Amino acid sequence: MIQAASHDAPSSHDHAPPPATFTVRVLRQDAPDQPSYWEKHTIVRENDMNVISVLQRMAAQAETADGNPVTPVAWDCNCLEEVCGACTMLINGRTRQACSALVDKLLVDNPEGIELRPMSKFPVLRDLMVSRARLFRALQKAKAWIPVDGYYDLGSGPKQSPADQEVAYPLSECMSCGCCLEACPQYTKIELTKRDGETDAEFKARETSAYDGAFIGAHAISQVMLFNTHPTGKMNAGERLDALTAEGGIQVCGNAQNCVAVCPKHIPLTTSIARAGRATTLHSLKKFFDL
Amino acid sequence: MEAQSGSFFARNEFLIRRLHSLTGLVPVGAFMCVHLITNSSTLGGAEMFQKNVDLIHSLGPALPAVEWAFIFLPLIFHAVVGVWIIRSGESNYFTYNYVSNFRWWMQRVTAWIALFFILYHVFHMHGWFHTEWWLKNVANENTGGHLFKPEHATSSAAIALASPFKKLLYVVGVTACVFHLANGLWTLGITWGIWTSPAAQRRANYLCAAFGVGLLAVGLGSIVGVSKTNVAEAEAFENAQLETKAAAAKRAAELLKKESAKAVTPTATATKK
Amino acid sequence: MAKQRVLIVGGGLAGLAAAMQLAESGTDVDLMSLTPVKRSHSVCAQGGINSVNELTRQQGDNEHLHFDDTVYGGDFLQHQPPVKEMTEWGPKIINLMDRLGVPFNRTPEGFRDQRRFGGTLFKRTAFAGATTGQQLLYALDEQVRRWETAGKVKKYEFWDFLGPMLDENGICRGAVAQDLVTMEIRTFPADAVIVGTGGCGLIFGRSTMSMACTGSAAARCFRVGAKYGNGEFIQVHPTAIPGADKLRLMSESARGEGGRVWVPRTPQDPRDPKSIPEAERYYFLEERYPKYGNLVPRDIATREIFSICTEDGLSVEKDRLCVYLDLTHLPKSAHDKLGGILDIYEKFQGVDPREVPMKIFPAVHYSMGGLWVDYERTPSGGLKPGSPKNQVTNIPGLYAIGECDYQYHGANRLGANSLLSCIFSGLIVAPGVQNWMKAIPGGPAADKPSSFYEAERKKHQAAHDKLLHRTGGGENPYLIHQELGNVMTKAATVVRYNNVLRDAYATVCELQQRAEKCSLSDTGNWTNQNVVFTKALVDMFPLARTILKGALQRDECRGAHFKPEFSPAGIDASASPTDRRRLAEEWCDRFELNTAKWCKSTVATLGADGEPQIAYEDVDTSLITPRPRLYGLVGAEAIEQVWNERQAAKKNGAATNGSAVAATAS
Repeated sequence: MIQAASHDAPSSHDHAPPPATFTVRVLRQDAPDQPSYWEKHTIVRENDMNVISVLQRMAAQAETADGNPVTPVAWDCNCLEEVCGACTMLINGRTRQACSALVDKLLVDNPEGIELRPMSKFPVLRDLMVSRARLFRALQKAKAWIPVDGYYDLGSGPKQSPADQEVAYPLSECMSCGCCLEACPQYTKIELTKRDGETDAEFKARETSAYDGAFIGAHAISQVMLFNTHPTGKMNAGERLDALTAEGGIQVCGNAQNCVAVCPKHIPLTTSIARAGRATTLHSLKKFFDL
Repeated sequence: MEAQSGSFFARNEFLIRRLHSLTGLVPVGAFMCVHLITNSSTLGGAEMFQKNVDLIHSLGPALPAVEWAFIFLPLIFHAVVGVWIIRSGESNYFTYNYVSNFRWWMQRVTAWIALFFILYHVFHMHGWFHTEWWLKNVANENTGGHLFKPEHATSSAAIALASPFKKLLYVVGVTACVFHLANGLWTLGITWGIWTSPAAQRRANYLCAAFGVGLLAVGLGSIVGVSKTNVAEAEAFENAQLETKAAAAKRAAELLKKESAKAVTPTATATKK
Repeated sequence: MAKQRVLIVGGGLAGLAAAMQLAESGTDVDLMSLTPVKRSHSVCAQGGINSVNELTRQQGDNEHLHFDDTVYGGDFLQHQPPVKEMTEWGPKIINLMDRLGVPFNRTPEGFRDQRRFGGTLFKRTAFAGATTGQQLLYALDEQVRRWETAGKVKKYEFWDFLGPMLDENGICRGAVAQDLVTMEIRTFPADAVIVGTGGCGLIFGRSTMSMACTGSAAARCFRVGAKYGNGEFIQVHPTAIPGADKLRLMSESARGEGGRVWVPRTPQDPRDPKSIPEAERYYFLEERYPKYGNLVPRDIATREIFSICTEDGLSVEKDRLCVYLDLTHLPKSAHDKLGGILDIYEKFQGVDPREVPMKIFPAVHYSMGGLWVDYERTPSGGLKPGSPKNQVTNIPGLYAIGECDYQYHGANRLGANSLLSCIFSGLIVAPGVQNWMKAIPGGPAADKPSSFYEAERKKHQAAHDKLLHRTGGGENPYLIHQELGNVMTKAATVVRYNNVLRDAYATVCELQQRAEKCSLSDTGNWTNQNVVFTKALVDMFPLARTILKGALQRDECRGAHFKPEFSPAGIDASASPTDRRRLAEEWCDRFELNTAKWCKSTVATLGADGEPQIAYEDVDTSLITPRPRLYGLVGAEAIEQVWNERQAAKKNGAATNGSAVAATAS
């Protein structure tokens, strides 16, 4: 019935027929304090496979290319439509979502097989799963919300020109996947471990302060520009710009512009950064001269 | 999070990095432009170059103060903060081989080259410090320092750059500095929010590239100019000029003496008033 | 007394709306989710959110018509007061979301733009590009982050809800949950637990739902005694892109913007679709439903697409079933409006839908059914604001909201109504929960002895340890899941037959036994997704059986539940006027009988033996009388005429009676 819709259509590529099987190398790590190691899997190729379905097959197979039984690879995913941002990982070395990484295309580019690694800028929890808490913390630091009076009915929102909406909408499509941060040469990994005798709350506080002191990243800078151009959000623009001029703020950006090149949503991140550059310049001058 | 945490540096990171960006343009970048243009006047012969050098050195005893305030200190600030910035990033050009990422990497490579080149260049030509002890014991002919003599601008420069190895070193150094300035100008425009959209950044990129190419021509022109110099002729001109100058100075001193001899105090009191 | 807390399980639109509303009015909230809440399944909703607006109002629209469309679209299976209340809140909710910064598309003058969606004749749907769900979710996520920063909300992301904790009086006192990273199991004492964990699409293997939509949280409530309503009503979306790992939604907005569905009149015409002349294309929806055209309600579109392929043999391809959804004739402005969803197609299929017609086929999309919840009605037929009964399950203190409650969509959900119902139920649950917490029988959760919580924790820890160290069995949970998906998809989606359902039920029972024998390939205690998946799989079976059993027992057609054996046939169009009249009368008689028998909620409870026990509960249809859905039926005009006459007669009767009563009283 509905699953009858699985594909037997030939692949759309004009190249040599795709291989019957292919190799997947996965960089695994059992836990944060453990060493990482490579593992090889052989997967039977099917039409229209993506990396998610490869990982699903690997979990079902539960054995390596050499036939050794192994635990399923841990990885993060949810929507599989590239709108939730969960399944970000390094596929053949580059940061992207596993759901939109089509196997046939990967094999054309790299016939030896597929290589999977966890994102390198975030602490590994296990295998391909990383903790992106720092990225969400940045949204707190940037006060990335509209501080409305309350949730009772107070009438319609502010009018907005279609032109402004067209600027805001792409920025609002950001799914916090972390690709821009992974590819940023100025965004470096922070991995802390809990000290002996430290409570969860103390550890969390130490972690938060470490995150706040390090680069906030294109992701949050762009969100600041989203809220600072909203008719209501504008009213608190200064607070967000303060966050961008604090330690780890926009000044850390080195203009490598990888963020915009790897963004799966094609968000104009470098435009946001430059706009934020202008806004923080003016904001700082105003503050300094008390204008 | 609002708590004033961290070091002075952490608290003022934004200001420091904006100043870093600014000093790169003014005065350091601007000085470099003036410097290279001045030096390129060697192409116009010893007379022209000497005139320009004399103009700069007409500041006399104020020159070191100007040098330190507007060149060396900003340069040192730019360099120290720059080294710290370089250490804060990690290049990933081999994974993400985009043009702008290459330029990010090149900005840092040229920064290191420029840093070592300028350190050497200033020692080589200027000697770093002009105290007697230093010039006698550290920056001298034997160590290859303080080789530029303002009164023998063209000839001393030509002698200093006589070796092909040094010429090559200067070509590399100047190229690195020019790239660093031109590319830095482009990123400065983004950092300060002058060009924001991709189209504007692209157009600015052309301008910065044109500026860089022009400045590089000027810079390399200086080296060519110095290389082309006939040392003997230049020296002859310089000596002649020195003599003329000495004679003029002598005349002026005599004139001054005469003036002061018949000087009347009212002038002095008038100024005091 | 310790400060009271509410635990919200699930951070989609509903959970986040509840969290922000509770936090604003001073309640401390623990918010638990399998994923960071910003990655919840709500992001997948593409099309828009419905409400009456100033524009449609002037075209004759009002809240009552939206209410009517919703219950009519849902085939009158939902209690009407909550739906009425929801549609009345619609404009307020859109305004609120607008204020929260959702970048709704704008008209040239700066107002919110609206589009028309399936099942209505008005342009009621506000939208933000083609990612309205994402935009709405983000706006709520941002508000909750604001409260999190202020310390009113504490998030527990990457936590798996293992089940509610019920005290000796059957009152919910919090929940037990497991950290998906450290595998720590701990209790969350709470004065109320609100479950907003979405649908259960993964029971069908591949669907348009996200990987978190296993239904396990609802199943875990079901296991401890919560009732499950209308399980058999599963919406199958007419247009999805068939993929290997999941079926990706192609929003109805593609048709809303003018997309046309067709197949070549020649079966499996090998020509390039663009070279097939108009005359040789069969625009079957437009021909069969001239009034609605390509925008017929979802269930009808689904069945038509399904039957054009299976029964008429007109599938575009031979080996897989699909039809064309054609946008190639649309202007660039329409393509731009749909940008997001067209990119999805291009991204996952490698073909540009602006140039080549898309190939699509139906896929499981939404669970109308869910945890049974209560409400308190006002005399005028709305919901009593702040009533602790609103959205509460049959377990006091346990609330359900969003897709995982059964309340708003009846037998079929109208397009662009799910976002509304999620936000609405999330907002209205808050004051009710706060009133419940003012007078909990037996006092607040914090006053319960710790031994009570420890016993609950131990119970779940023991079950976890047992599963982890199970030896033998040898069953593979991933393969069992695939089999379950195949069985469920075959038996309980677009068309249902009793013999197939009966077989499927038996197969699912077998699979359930096999699932109990799953061996884990990972027996570790750190980020063990293997054990988490296996637990979710085991919990799919009570719901799968409820869906199948409900479908098997419901011998009628209603909304998404379609059984050809019980499909009301049209009437003979060629009959003489008198015969036609008689046939129409008979048709209406049958309809009224069927309504009396089947216009009832299916309410399941899980027996101790694992067998779902099904009861039927009357539906409050006091506000709008159920009427036949006649889209495309042969002889619809005759039936409608008879029906209208009967309704008029009833009304008059009621009026006469009413005046007689009034006369007597005076």
